[in-house]
Amino acid sequence: MMRVTAGSASRGALAGLQADAARLSNLQRQITSGRQITRPSDSPTGTVTALQLRSQLKQLTQFQTNANDALGWLTTVDSTLHSMTSQLQQVRSLVLQGMNTGTGNAASNEALAQQVDQARASLLSLANSSYLGRPVFGGTTAGGVAFDAAGSYAGDTGTVTRTVGPNNAIDLNNPGTATFGPNGSNLFDLLTDISAKLRTNPSGLGTDLAQLDVRQVAITNEQSLAGAKYQRIQSVQNTANTNLVQLKSQLSDLQEVDLADMAIQVTSANAAYQAALATTAKVSQVSLLDFLR
Amino acid sequence: MTSSFSGLTNALAALNVQRYGMEVTGQNIANANTPGYTRQRAELAAVGPTAGVAALYATQHPNGSVTVTGTTRLNDPMIDGRARTEHGDNGYRQTTATVLSSVETLFDEPSDNGLAEQLNDFWNSWAAVANNPGDLAARNVVLQKAASLTSSINQSSANLDRLTQAVSQQASAATVEINTAAAALAQLNGDIAVASASGSNTNALADQRDALLLKLADLTGAQSTINANGSADVTVGGLTLVTSTTASTLSLSSGNQILVGGTPAGPAGGTLQGLVDGLTTALPGYAAQLDAVAASLASTVNAGQSAGYDLAGNPGGPLFAGSTAATLSVVVTNPANLAASGTPGGNLDGSAALGMSQLGSSTSGADAAYRALVGTLATDVQRANQQAAVQQAVTNNIDELAQSSAGVSFDEETTNLLTYQRAYQASSRVMSTVDEVLDLLINHTGRAGL
Repeated sequence: MMRVTAGSASRGALAGLQADAARLSNLQRQITSGRQITRPSDSPTGTVTALQLRSQLKQLTQFQTNANDALGWLTTVDSTLHSMTSQLQQVRSLVLQGMNTGTGNAASNEALAQQVDQARASLLSLANSSYLGRPVFGGTTAGGVAFDAAGSYAGDTGTVTRTVGPNNAIDLNNPGTATFGPNGSNLFDLLTDISAKLRTNPSGLGTDLAQLDVRQVAITNEQSLAGAKYQRIQSVQNTANTNLVQLKSQLSDLQEVDLADMAIQVTSANAAYQAALATTAKVSQVSLLDFLR
Repeated sequence: MTSSFSGLTNALAALNVQRYGMEVTGQNIANANTPGYTRQRAELAAVGPTAGVAALYATQHPNGSVTVTGTTRLNDPMIDGRARTEHGDNGYRQTTATVLSSVETLFDEPSDNGLAEQLNDFWNSWAAVANNPGDLAARNVVLQKAASLTSSINQSSANLDRLTQAVSQQASAATVEINTAAAALAQLNGDIAVASASGSNTNALADQRDALLLKLADLTGAQSTINANGSADVTVGGLTLVTSTTASTLSLSSGNQILVGGTPAGPAGGTLQGLVDGLTTALPGYAAQLDAVAASLASTVNAGQSAGYDLAGNPGGPLFAGSTAATLSVVVTNPANLAASGTPGGNLDGSAALGMSQLGSSTSGADAAYRALVGTLATDVQRANQQAAVQQAVTNNIDELAQSSAGVSFDEETTNLLTYQRAYQASSRVMSTVDEVLDLLINHTGRAGL
């Protein structure tokens, strides 16, 4: 039979009390920090998963920023091309007027030509529209404009890309030459030609009208392309938002404490600790000496 | 035939013996809380007439009495031996867990401020540059994030170095403590040998010896043998540390190998082995893993940079210098020199910056290396803590067993005290009764008629 001595009894009681106190303090640490994993060894696999989730979360947030930026860019493109289309409609009617008037009325044709010149200047400035300081039709040019004052392309053939999801990079632009035509025969050259022909040779406007229609179709196409990209990015964003919520809840499940569960655990740990304290205090007071005269 | 007065002598001897018993009980009670004290018991033996000798020639001995044959130390040598083994193991496990936990506190993960999050921020700052390669502010953010990342890595490396130094100092302190204890044991061995040869009580010396043996076991997992004369021999890692009155010197080599008397010892145990393992295996291992993180960061980022072109269109140069955690630094100071473009010519292409921003999700990059470091560390610490907890429970158990045989129980001592007290009272009564009888014989015999 094992002897129970003053030393062994108090040592056992102390070890038990310390274990209870450690359990309480561990629970307290989790509650005050609000986290289940307060150090890596609390859950090695949980820690590594949490690190991965955090990295994904940061990346996804950055994708959202990229997508918002892309939407801003595409909005600029869309509204610019929209104004251009309506201005080109006006130019077209001016050309038709010129063709109808023919060579008969020089003064009237001069007025038409001046209107076309105005439209050209306005369209040129629209073609140089910029988003955050960058011309949206200039490719990746570091210069401030896509087309110079003479109307020739000053940008490059680089593409502006936004990564809106994992392996989902969207090209935002076509070089200005694709939309407005190659240097020498682009929209602005065409408008210069129209204005010259209105002044000198209105009967030759027929081919220009055909070319104008070609440009207009190209611009409308570009606008619908921008719209399609806008929609695509929005749908990616919606998916990403759902993902973001899921990732956050996964991370929260992994890292954060369940307060209700914690409250119950603390209550039971506290009760056990108090019971141990009370019993130890009562039992260790008693000895044979209390009962001897 | 006994003498007329032998009854008195017998009673006196009994009184002395019971008083001695009470003294031993008193000593036990007095030392109930003395660390390392082992309870003692007065061994009593009845004294009778010498057997087989004719009464005429028998020595006139106070027969029919009692004598003290010795004072026994009531320990259990087998449990004491097991306690030393478990204490050696416990010292090792606890120290290993402490060293690893200290490393763990240097890596605050998962958190919003840890290295992992700083890496994420660094990669994301590249994505902002990719969106807006011409924006110097976005480029400056990259430089700031790179600077805080390197300083964190430098700091972690410096912290690991400091921890290594602290552990090294602890190991030296433990060595000094071990040598002091070994020298004390050698001297005690001499004292015990002399005392036991001269037949004196060696109980107090044996208590001191056992305390020293337990201390040596805690510190180095020392194995001990107790000799017939009560002296103890101690070996550490297979080499003799103390034999009889000679103590060898234990020291650490420059490579942190345990030397006993200058000879490399085998695996020992105890606190010292825990510290030595930390110095030779755990700490250098984590430092190497941190270096790998720094090297991977520098090489992948610099490779990405040299493949790209800066704002002016020149080929990019390295962003980081150094390939260890301690030496990693940022060398680019002008934000325009960061290579964001994938094509030459000074344009606002962002493909190189985009590539940089995606380095973080590589499965072989710095992030993965860092996650591996944290994962290994976490598993190591968890295992060490579990082993330490189990070993602590085993050690507590064996300590309780040792206490159960060697510790003082007040109930038992009080009972013994009562027994001796009653025996003393009864012996006094025997003495007074014999005295009355003799009084009758001497003073009242043959006085009939007087």
